[in-house]
Amino acid sequence: MDLQSNLQPESGKLEQIVSQFLLKSLHIILDSRVPSLRPHDRSGDLSLGSQVRKSDKWFNLVLGDRPAALDNLNFWHRNVMDPMIIDVILVHQGSNSPSMAVGGSVETVIERWVVQYEYPRVVAAQPSESSAYYKKTYKKSIILLRALYSQMRLLPAYRIFRQLSTSSRTYNFDIIYKVSSFSDPFSRAEEGMMEEHSFPAVEAYPGRLCISVTYRTTLSDFNLEPSTSMPPKIITDYVGSPNTDPLRSLPSSGKGVSATSFTLRGVQAPAPVPSQRPHSWTSGFHRAAFSAQNQPFVGSPPAYYPSPMPYDYPSPPAYYPSSMPYDYPSPPTDIHGNRVQHYRAPTHQKAISHDDYQLSPPFSPSPSPSSPSYISNAYPMQTRVRSETAPVSIPLPMTSRSFRHLSPNSSDPNRSSLPPLSPRSRRTDPSSQESPSGITYFRKIESLRSGEMQPVTANHYTGQKVTRDSKDDSGRFSGLLSSSGSPRIGFSRSSSRLSFQDEFDDIDFSYPFDVDDVDTSDFHASQNLDGKKASEFTSQSLPIGRKSQDAAVGELVRMLRTAPPLRQDPSCYSSHSMKTELEGGVATASGFFMPRKAVDALEELRSFRDMKDLLLSKSGRVISKEEA
Amino acid sequence: MNCEVCQLKELEVEHFEIREVLRCILHTIVFHRALGLVRPKDVDLELFDVTYVQCGDVELEKKIDEKIEHFISWVEKHPNKKSQICLSFYEVKNKQPSWFTNKIERLYWEQWYINLNVAQHLKAHSSKSHNSKVVVDPGEEERIARRAAVEASLREVLFQIIKFVNEKKDHVPPIPNGDGVVYFPHEVTIPSSSDSAFGMDMIKRMLQTGHPTMLS
Repeated sequence: MDLQSNLQPESGKLEQIVSQFLLKSLHIILDSRVPSLRPHDRSGDLSLGSQVRKSDKWFNLVLGDRPAALDNLNFWHRNVMDPMIIDVILVHQGSNSPSMAVGGSVETVIERWVVQYEYPRVVAAQPSESSAYYKKTYKKSIILLRALYSQMRLLPAYRIFRQLSTSSRTYNFDIIYKVSSFSDPFSRAEEGMMEEHSFPAVEAYPGRLCISVTYRTTLSDFNLEPSTSMPPKIITDYVGSPNTDPLRSLPSSGKGVSATSFTLRGVQAPAPVPSQRPHSWTSGFHRAAFSAQNQPFVGSPPAYYPSPMPYDYPSPPAYYPSSMPYDYPSPPTDIHGNRVQHYRAPTHQKAISHDDYQLSPPFSPSPSPSSPSYISNAYPMQTRVRSETAPVSIPLPMTSRSFRHLSPNSSDPNRSSLPPLSPRSRRTDPSSQESPSGITYFRKIESLRSGEMQPVTANHYTGQKVTRDSKDDSGRFSGLLSSSGSPRIGFSRSSSRLSFQDEFDDIDFSYPFDVDDVDTSDFHASQNLDGKKASEFTSQSLPIGRKSQDAAVGELVRMLRTAPPLRQDPSCYSSHSMKTELEGGVATASGFFMPRKAVDALEELRSFRDMKDLLLSKSGRVISKEEA
Repeated sequence: MNCEVCQLKELEVEHFEIREVLRCILHTIVFHRALGLVRPKDVDLELFDVTYVQCGDVELEKKIDEKIEHFISWVEKHPNKKSQICLSFYEVKNKQPSWFTNKIERLYWEQWYINLNVAQHLKAHSSKSHNSKVVVDPGEEERIARRAAVEASLREVLFQIIKFVNEKKDHVPPIPNGDGVVYFPHEVTIPSSSDSAFGMDMIKRMLQTGHPTMLS
């Protein structure tokens, strides 16, 4: 291989390292500073024995589940040359400074982390041995990230983070964050109270990776203490409520129960932040805005199957006009092209994320990411078919009450069919254990479709690698990769999994049918469908429409779950599905299905009898003919 | 490849603080040098308001704890002395056996010297036991101040480690491939000036590193 041909994959490698570096550092920082994003119980996964996701193995630092925020990074941080500025903001009771007060709380930036790939003005000569050079760069960045990790625990802000995250008490302060590619400089007074620390940069030709932090040396100025408990407030104009979003229709019981997570910390929910910050997002009180904006593909909330096209979300909802971290109306240029094409939209990102799998360290030569077009051409018909069937999806919302949680915790904010307030905080609620599993169904269904509509990858991803990846995952998508599927398709599913799964991580809504975690074998079987089956299912679901929506959903789920033999008459499917039990007891739905079972069985019986008679009569004729 | 040496700032610790302090320092160093796949584990010190990071490897923890026990027993035999613990990282090179060296050669590329001054404050004990009725506030205050000082020094040492780890990276050898926590081979030695065994250790080590000048 001569140097020329080396250049292409090497620059791809560099981009990979840089983007993963940014992701990882963001992960580390958020994990160590923002309590709401942290998975509730980390003690369980301390052993390395449990499977580690390939994407988590970057830089040899396993951190566990990524906060949802990270998945947005790939999207918004379009240019890796832009600095990534992470502000760790302390929200506390304002005492002396009323100017910034919003509802009594003040935001102060206590730490500002700047992670960036510095590109020099004068580019030095390229090192002769590129691959060895990048291996060294990778090794050094591992060390740098380790140092970052340790340093996070030595700075003053760690103390209050621990207070917030480990204690069960509520405090009168909270920590939120903001990520952007630019930032307002500190005032003189603020600067006086802060110190700066820069980590030595890692050479990554042609530039270098730098991390620096400006932090407050002492936090004793703030009055941070446990708060007296406040009664939970009912916020009626939460994101996605019928008042604010006329498109939605909500079950009456679901109203008003959501958004109590806002008050968990005992701080009042403020009005939306006045300043509009393009190209950035934030969390905390901006959580609703954040999650609404940053997961546009969640769509206006209950259209949970929005379009399978996340980036087509037309414009941010009107109710948070001022706190719109990003504007979607004019999509950024490099994504623009992708937005136009339906399923290509995430392709660009997917291509990079596929490389996660290929290039997880120590990296092997990466494929050139130029192959997507090839494969999508091969499946034009299918994509079109899929996109047509996609909208015929599970009918509207999540009328949560009737299902599953017949003994729901009605005050449980998670149960409300409402959106995406910082989903992670919801996850921590032990009563919400099942909702993630419920979510898995949507994910599977969505990825089933979208997976097939995403036939994007380089050819040489082997099916084996793919199955390994599936196992790496938490098991949710393990069923995605069918043994019978072609490697390409299989991989495309996992690739879609990569984004969609994480996307759906963000979607926190309760399900009418709450099914337990997938039984892999079942799902494998169901995954053996080809597109026809998918459309068959959906078309089948249509006639059921007249029955309750919930039942339809349950029916569809069951069908998908139990669809073992591929080509059978629909009548056989229904009989199969009748036999399998829907775990978790879809109470009313099961009641609903009872009569159908009998009716169907009777019909079947009749048809069999007819067939039998026919056959007998025919054979009778044949015999008579033979005899004759 | 040159061998980088880092002398850490001296810490004055009391006997009962040794274990925690050493654990903290040793684990921190290894965490920054264990470049294989790790799942970091945060550990809070009990005596101080410090959190350090471990590699999350049980074997490593055992090994380090053992060494710390050796050190403590050594300190008990030699009280009131300045002592040093040396954590060295080496590369294992297979070499042709010759009559001086074994097959396996260790090439040290980094050495950390942890300097401890184990003080035993007898004053505090006596005042407590004799003047139990007397208000022990002065002693208590002193202890609190002392502990705060130790904590500050410990943090400084940790900062020092992080700084050193980042500044000198070129000498770190390439990461050996493997699954699980892969870290560079390392050893912890307790050099003590009064121990005759120390001298022998040094000579052995020098032989093993195979300086050409020594052999010829």
